[in-house]
Amino acid sequence: MEQHLSPGAPEPAPRWARWFVGVYLALFVVCGVAGLEAWPLTGWRLFADARQARQPGFEAVTVDRAGRETPIPFPDLPAGYRGNVQILKGFARLPAGRQAAVCQAWAEVVRDRGGEVAEVRIYQTVTDVSQRSGDRGAPPARSLRFTCRPGSAGAAG
Amino acid sequence: MPPADGRPGRGLPARVERWLFAPGDPRRLAAVRIGLCGLLAARLASGPYPELATQPPALFRPISFLRLLDRMPSPEAVAALQALALGAAVLATVGLLTRFTLPVAWLAALPLVAMTSSLGKVVHNDVLLLLCLLPLLPSRAGAVWSLDARLRPVARPGPAFGWPVRTAMVVVAGAYFFSGLAKLLHAGPAWVASDNLRWVLYAASDAQPEPNPFALFVADRPLLAQLVAAATLAVELGFPLVLWRPRLAWVLVPAVVAMHAGIGLAMHLDYSAMAATVLVVFVDWPALADRLRGPGPEPAGRSGPVPAEERR
Repeated sequence: MEQHLSPGAPEPAPRWARWFVGVYLALFVVCGVAGLEAWPLTGWRLFADARQARQPGFEAVTVDRAGRETPIPFPDLPAGYRGNVQILKGFARLPAGRQAAVCQAWAEVVRDRGGEVAEVRIYQTVTDVSQRSGDRGAPPARSLRFTCRPGSAGAAG
Repeated sequence: MPPADGRPGRGLPARVERWLFAPGDPRRLAAVRIGLCGLLAARLASGPYPELATQPPALFRPISFLRLLDRMPSPEAVAALQALALGAAVLATVGLLTRFTLPVAWLAALPLVAMTSSLGKVVHNDVLLLLCLLPLLPSRAGAVWSLDARLRPVARPGPAFGWPVRTAMVVVAGAYFFSGLAKLLHAGPAWVASDNLRWVLYAASDAQPEPNPFALFVADRPLLAQLVAAATLAVELGFPLVLWRPRLAWVLVPAVVAMHAGIGLAMHLDYSAMAATVLVVFVDWPALADRLRGPGPEPAGRSGPVPAEERR
């Protein structure tokens, strides 16, 4: 790895390049060590947490006028709707108006695809992935957390 | 901060500095430019930016400088940025006005890639590509293997061509090391020693429309799951060794590519841009080209010695 410059070797890299690389790598290392998110610099947290068998989560469903529930098909929706996991995780902390706007956005995209939406329900779930039924996990335990109805200012918890 | 006069010093920092700023082959830098800019162009051409631009404002979870906005940039702005970034990336790939088109491509791509991370979760796939391109922006990346080079004297190996590639190598190595470090800091030994990976893979399989045979094969075998987790952590934490012992690239580069392929098969998560970035940065493309070409006259730009640490 070590390099020795011999007489007649090219001039060393310019001063600005040394400063540029030094500052850049210093910031890169600080974000990596401290886990800071200063995008595009990042703390590189990829699958960093140890998962347990019992995994908490959320499920959002639409309900038609007959009371039938249909899970919102987030993977099939346009890319802008695929942050559902993070939105649902922080839903309880959103202001009432923002909660209503989120539900409204989900209801509208389901209606655009031909679905009937009388209300949107958000369930808190706990899935024990160690409980297997063939190649599938057992259904999660659900408890209703929020209900959004058209015209309401927020979600009823 | 490195000493600015370039004089050799003692100790590890001085050795690292000498390694970073040692002379390099202009063809290696050009190959990294072509690979990374070509990859950026492909990502820009296929990215979900027009779809993201139509996102309802209530779902916007901005990151970094996008916090200045209250919704995603408009479809018109996104279309203009995408056209500008894609055009500049293609021109930088072929090396036309490289010192202008490469920075323009990077700057125009930045808000587009930020949009993909403004759904509540950082998407690391394209971040590594952007971070590896950054040291190329002020460099002489178009000195050879470019349209620009037709108008200039043949570039010889020198200090101007080494540090951009080696900085990108440090960034790649750091990305994997810090990924492993984050696992140790947040989960500790349980990341390997517990059933962590089994539960990750079961959850990933259950979230897919059909059960995933690759995920289930590993998740159904507790010992295999722990071995895969241990190997993952070892590869991530050990990746910087490739900077010290370049021959380890023969093991570590295929290992991370295999890791990303495995994640793709088992979890349907696309880290192809990250894997491609590793290949572009760590494969010595000029040496490969020389080997394929066989014995013959010295190619342009390769009349001087190649730093030993770049040979594999």
